[in-house]
Amino acid sequence: MRTRARWGSVTTSLVMIPLAALVGFPFYYIVVNTMKTQQETANSPLALPTSLNFDNYVEVFQTLPLVQSFANTFVVTVASIVLMLVVGSMAAFASLIRQTWVSRAIAAMLVLAFVVPFQSTLIPLYRMLVDWRLVDTLQGLVVLYAAGSIFCYFLIQGYMRTVPFEVIEAARVDGAGVFRIYWTIVLPLIRPILITVGVFQAMWVWNDFITPNVFISSPRNETLVLQVYSAVGQFSVNWPAFMTLTVIVLIPMVIFFVVMQRHIVNGLVQGSIKG
Amino acid sequence: MTATTSLPEVAPTGGTGPSHPAGTRGNTLLRLRESAADYVFYLPVLVVFVVLFAIPVVQSLYWSFTDFSVRSPEPEYVGFANYGRIFNDSSMMTALWFTLAYTIGTTLIVTVLAIPLAVVLNRRFVGRNLVRSVFFFPAIPSIAVLGLVWGFILSPIGSGVLNTVLDAVGGLGPVPWLSDPQLAQLSVILVGVWSQLGWHAILYLAYLQSIPSDLYEVATIDGASRRQQFFTITLPLLTPAVTVSQLLLLTNGLKVYDLPFTLTGGGPGYATYTMTQSIIQRGIAQAEFGQASALAVVFMLIVGAVVLLQLAVARRLEGRIR
Repeated sequence: MRTRARWGSVTTSLVMIPLAALVGFPFYYIVVNTMKTQQETANSPLALPTSLNFDNYVEVFQTLPLVQSFANTFVVTVASIVLMLVVGSMAAFASLIRQTWVSRAIAAMLVLAFVVPFQSTLIPLYRMLVDWRLVDTLQGLVVLYAAGSIFCYFLIQGYMRTVPFEVIEAARVDGAGVFRIYWTIVLPLIRPILITVGVFQAMWVWNDFITPNVFISSPRNETLVLQVYSAVGQFSVNWPAFMTLTVIVLIPMVIFFVVMQRHIVNGLVQGSIKG
Repeated sequence: MTATTSLPEVAPTGGTGPSHPAGTRGNTLLRLRESAADYVFYLPVLVVFVVLFAIPVVQSLYWSFTDFSVRSPEPEYVGFANYGRIFNDSSMMTALWFTLAYTIGTTLIVTVLAIPLAVVLNRRFVGRNLVRSVFFFPAIPSIAVLGLVWGFILSPIGSGVLNTVLDAVGGLGPVPWLSDPQLAQLSVILVGVWSQLGWHAILYLAYLQSIPSDLYEVATIDGASRRQQFFTITLPLLTPAVTVSQLLLLTNGLKVYDLPFTLTGGGPGYATYTMTQSIIQRGIAQAEFGQASALAVVFMLIVGAVVLLQLAVARRLEGRIR
């Protein structure tokens, strides 16, 4: 019986590891080609590089303002996440301390936002940002990403029920104002959900393509993903350089994945499993 | 906005932990309620809702009944003309058709593959954690970047690696993965499946792990085969996961834009044109605000119907399980 189980496990490994290799193949493909010349890529696209040749990396960093677009993406992501979490947690806090018909009406109204896809508000939002002179600015992107605060509100609100109410009450008796209770008591208590929601929303903002593609036009305001897209034409014949660019852009995501894997899976499950 | 692309959007109220009875809470809250300042905490979220959702939706609705465009900057009422034109315009109809095909295609294929994958990933075997991570990883980077990478892999010319491999293995001529309309549609759908499969398998895995193992032990003692166990224990207990996963796939599929846009640019012709691309093309590039708004309203109705269905089914399932 035991040996049979062990053989089953070996068979599973023998099937699943090649399948995983197949799924991961595109990543192998782009990584090996970053260290080849155009000629080598054309002749043997799948072979391992003959030497550790970092010329493509040097070339990509010299031709594209990668540091600039990395900084843009970073600033937009951090600003958007902070804004979303503050707006979302404030509303969740309000619904915790004020369980009246007003709160229920607001919650019911906010659910409507889930029914509205971004695409359906795109044209009015575009004209609004034109009026506000925020088209083609990083601030404009942050304004648009603030829409994510409604999703944050719902996830945080669900978690906030776990905050022991006696703690808030005690603080209140000690004479703390609502703002102080929110800032020094409630926010630290709900840190786990803030991290989970923050990680999830950060992935959305960092990876988002549609918003910068529509709202950003000048190269100095490009995010990383948009820069990769714009560079396709530039590198249409120089494939190794393009692969190098994508690898450079993927590196932060790999690090993020390795560090945050637990939180990513948490968020994935949290949104769907109750309790 | 549900633009949080890969997020599970169901279950906004994930109730964890004990909830306090409303009555006792009301009393302890008396002093807090004295201060109207509490409602100030709602202010930011209300601003977000009004500015980024309510006003744009009303504007879209209004413009969809007008001829508003760069050529006629003063909107004039035209009735349902813009809506009628959607069904007579081949690019908008193809966009609608392909968006639906992509949605149904990815939903079906991902669901059929993700459940067995999750069952296997739940078994014990050497290299399990690595295999899980590799399957999950394509969901992490931007799908726009992955679309571009696949463009190189599927390229018909010279170093298109898939064609190189096919040529070396079977001597097959270059397959026009992205230049033949049907093959291009298939390619987009398959890359979409590749990028989402692991994510959904992990979702199912989370549900599988919550199934108590003694259920299987009892079934084994009773002489149930592995297959019987799958169909009588695993599958029924996975029902909530199937609902969540499918409805996520449906909404994300309807909203698809990045993948076809970066992989094929919507082509060849309009073969892989999506509703989103059509809205952006009409509304931003060609500045036909009225026409694009009508398309945006139709799109909202379709997505809205699916999301409402999603919430209703999730709520109902939740009631049945508790």
